[in-house]
Amino acid sequence: MGTTLSTPRFRWLVLSFMLLAVALVWISRDAAKRRVAQQGRQAQVEGMVHLLGTADLALSSASRWLRHPSLTEPGAPFADGPAILDADPAGAVIGPPRDLLRGMGSLITDP
Amino acid sequence: MRRQLALLGFAVGSALRRTGRTLSLAAALALVTFAFASVLFFTEALRGEFRQGLAALPDLTVQRLVAGRPSLVEESDAAWIAEMPGVTAVRPRVWGYFFVPALAGNFTVVGVDFERDWEQLGGHLTVGPGRLPEPGRSEEAVMGEALARFLGLDLGNAITVPVGSTFQRLELVGVFRSDVALWSADVILANESDARVLLQIPEGAATDLGIWLSTPDEGVVVARKIADRLPGVRIVDRQLMSRTYDLTFDTRGGMMGMMLLPALVAFLVLAWDRLTGVGAGERREIGVLKAVGWRTGDLLLARLWENTILAVGGAGVGIVAAYIHVFWAGAPGLAEVLLGWSSLYPALRVTPAVDGAQLVALLCLVGAPFVAASLVPAWRAATRDPHSLLRGGS
Repeated sequence: MGTTLSTPRFRWLVLSFMLLAVALVWISRDAAKRRVAQQGRQAQVEGMVHLLGTADLALSSASRWLRHPSLTEPGAPFADGPAILDADPAGAVIGPPRDLLRGMGSLITDP
Repeated sequence: MRRQLALLGFAVGSALRRTGRTLSLAAALALVTFAFASVLFFTEALRGEFRQGLAALPDLTVQRLVAGRPSLVEESDAAWIAEMPGVTAVRPRVWGYFFVPALAGNFTVVGVDFERDWEQLGGHLTVGPGRLPEPGRSEEAVMGEALARFLGLDLGNAITVPVGSTFQRLELVGVFRSDVALWSADVILANESDARVLLQIPEGAATDLGIWLSTPDEGVVVARKIADRLPGVRIVDRQLMSRTYDLTFDTRGGMMGMMLLPALVAFLVLAWDRLTGVGAGERREIGVLKAVGWRTGDLLLARLWENTILAVGGAGVGIVAAYIHVFWAGAPGLAEVLLGWSSLYPALRVTPAVDGAQLVALLCLVGAPFVAASLVPAWRAATRDPHSLLRGGS
């Protein structure tokens, strides 16, 4: 055991684990700092939610059931159109062609 | 204790003697942990951000459905609802979507009666010299950071938005702070009268009604009374909104998790393959150890230590990498899949919300099967006759 623990490889292993421990401590401190910052934003967030009337996050504006999932009625994705683009979640990596959407837009804005 | 330390020392030596195998297994473990941890960190963080705004939501939201689609509610209904016992405030809200072909996406237009709601605003919401629209003053708007940047607008600039055959002018008087970018990225906030013009909502109608109660527990009773008087309405309570959000990200995170399961299985198959391929040298080592008095339990314990070190190291690296990926780099590659395609993305500044139990569950999901899978081949080799192992029998 003594010879194993004194080899350069073992020292490298100990050093690697120490680095890993430092990294884990760093992320836990960083997470704590971010949580404190989040609490500092509480008044702004509540003011914003009060103004908007919803706490839904503006993560996607592609469709109303993606933009406001908590307020949209059941079955909303199917009410958008029979040939609706597969927007969630599989179709998300690559956006649909803009020309296609532009055509849909003109239908909606100029009936 | 001395025995365990001796076994640990042997396990470390054993792992270091087979550097290539150890590193390849640790790298594969780190990769699988990274993938699962990224999904967990990101979905939990988004849920946490949503929950942060829950306290400011109305206890009940009343919508009207016609032919299964949302319709406008009568503003006059607010008066009798406000007189119901337990109701402290009712706010008819004017908001909706405005599709812009050039953007290939929707703005969210929100109209606010600033004369009525000014007092209830908490904190400063706009950047620098910007401000919210002044009460009663038309053609002023505040926009989300992402939207203003997309349109190339600075404070004082104006846009003209086509509404049917006419146009509505809006001057940018403020941009929402990045602190609230997650809620406001695609928002145009204007006085209620301007929002009515943009959304073509007539006077006397509203998109929905927000209701605040003195005791949220009375929500069910109040909702039943409203539903009795207004058949066909849909009433959403605050808990339902929260549950919807939880389910939304459970579904998306779960689907990502399912997509990653083959990677976990592939890793376990790799681990099994690497660890069952006991070489001649390793067989001889086990034979010598058994010949000098090591018991099967000692050999298994040594192997358990070796693989636990490997699992902790690999999983630790994966967790650190996932944290950096999600909270420092903005989850590239993952955000697009989990959030859905959009032409406007907010600056993703999310806060970690994972608790210890979830991390332990993650480690059990990835690390425990690996350690368990590695013990079976070790047990098979350790239970062999030492003579046959020393003679090189397979």
